[in-house]
Amino acid sequence: MSTRPRLPSAVPGEPESLGSVLAHTPEVLAGFFELYGTFWQLGAVDPALKEMTRLRNARITDCGY
Amino acid sequence: MSWITAQDTSWSSLLARHPALAPGYQAFYRSLWRDGGLDRRVLECCRLRIAAIHDCDAEWRVRDPAVILSSAEQAALRHGECGPFPPAQRAALQLAERMPFDHHGMEDAEVTAAREHFGAAGTVQLLLALAFFDATCRMKLVSGVAPIPAPSGSNGPP
Repeated sequence: MSTRPRLPSAVPGEPESLGSVLAHTPEVLAGFFELYGTFWQLGAVDPALKEMTRLRNARITDCGY
Repeated sequence: MSWITAQDTSWSSLLARHPALAPGYQAFYRSLWRDGGLDRRVLECCRLRIAAIHDCDAEWRVRDPAVILSSAEQAALRHGECGPFPPAQRAALQLAERMPFDHHGMEDAEVTAAREHFGAAGTVQLLLALAFFDATCRMKLVSGVAPIPAPSGSNGPP
């Protein structure tokens, strides 16, 4: 896996991050964060449980980000 | 049959159980097919390859009516062969091959090859689409939805 960003930031002056890279595709960016917000803010699953599963998934996929 | 309820036999019916989530999910999925400039054929081939890797019949049987694939192309996607496809599609399929179980094996040169064909925006679109195709297959497999093609737009490429 690369230790350097493979895609540039689409936002002048901003370093590479999920948001600044997704900014290459504005509609995708908007849709992604709206969906992500829905996952976290709504529903029957407790936010603490969601956070635990998010961190567990990050561990399993070895995603330091 | 889905293990969730006897009525939840389709992907659409499962999504409908979370009314607040379904519209956002559909909107995001549609954006993956539109925003970035990628040819639908590239995305469709990658989607089917990932479905084949997961052996996810519920996703494999869904087809984009706007993309016509020959039986040879379908067989190649089923078995992970790139021969029938032009260089741009092969570059995308190389990334698709990595995404489900070998994402750490994805090489800089493979992403560079995709950027040469699709540009930064197209590559962003492609990588996020591959991740979403992968997640969709996992969700369909875990939830046990039936491999029944749904009406266009509700279960597959918009």
